[in-house]
Amino acid sequence: MNLLFIILSMFLQHSGITIENPWIRNSSTGTNTAFFFTVNNTGKEADTLYAAYGDFAEVTEVHETYKKGEDMMGMREVPIVVIPPGSKVVFKPRDLHVMLIKLTSDVEKGMEKEVILKFRKAGEIKIKAPVKGMEAMMMKHK
Amino acid sequence: MLTLVAALFYSCSEKGEKVYSGKSFVLTDMNKKSITYPDITKGKITVVGYIFTNCPDICPLTTNNMRLLKEKFPRRDYPEIEFVSISFDPKVDTPEVLKKFAEVRDLDLNGWTFLTGEPAIISDLMHEAGIISIPGDSTVTPAGEKIIFYIHTDRISVIDRDGILVENFPGSSLDIDKAYREIIRIY
Repeated sequence: MNLLFIILSMFLQHSGITIENPWIRNSSTGTNTAFFFTVNNTGKEADTLYAAYGDFAEVTEVHETYKKGEDMMGMREVPIVVIPPGSKVVFKPRDLHVMLIKLTSDVEKGMEKEVILKFRKAGEIKIKAPVKGMEAMMMKHK
Repeated sequence: MLTLVAALFYSCSEKGEKVYSGKSFVLTDMNKKSITYPDITKGKITVVGYIFTNCPDICPLTTNNMRLLKEKFPRRDYPEIEFVSISFDPKVDTPEVLKKFAEVRDLDLNGWTFLTGEPAIISDLMHEAGIISIPGDSTVTPAGEKIIFYIHTDRISVIDRDGILVENFPGSSLDIDKAYREIIRIY
């Protein structure tokens, strides 16, 4: 019984990761799109997002958008994103996002798509994310 | 460094100057129709954005800002404003790709033209407009296709009836009200 309690405690500690406000921007077959969400780490240890997967894209990567110079923007892959304990990391437009590359089907407004986020401690977390259109880009993210 | 070097070799119209040095460019619209730009906007105010469709974040935001701005100018009340989106990745952005890009976003294409063209012509146009696009990060798909993500100028320009630059705005973070006021001022 004690052993079960210890194991459960360890699991709960490592399951301090929750995903909030997930959404995917609509896009069409053959193009790319982005998956946005907030990672909430209520645990006592940092966790690390190191990969993501969506079966409706040929490649899934974690990316960030960045500013270059006065008026240029770029995007690059980030190998890991550390989620400190007791914090939230927001993946949002013009910032961190999961990049769904070369979509194998249309991702249309109103659909729901599954994306898997892979954390070092919390493991794989499956998220069902609604697909939103242009109006979602105007939403304010905390 | 590459960005800086590229910027040095690019012209960039200042407010009050002609944007395309009086040049015309034979391009292709999303319906595969040959279009001479900027001649199609002659005598009209132009709101032009520069995009590539493989861009998952900035260019959809720029396109959405164009949409929001366009909604402030109903075609029936403001027939002398043309919205134009030009791809700086013409090898990928065929007319079909641009059409699908617009369709999936339910864009009102009455008064909004998406343009692509021969790479050399697009390059010349971007040079005249002062738009820089440099291959940045890339990804290779399982099928071996290389997808390039450009570092690029983030811009929406408002151009007056004479082809003179009124204002360059940051495309992905456009101040809609400010752009609206600028257009109303010159309409």
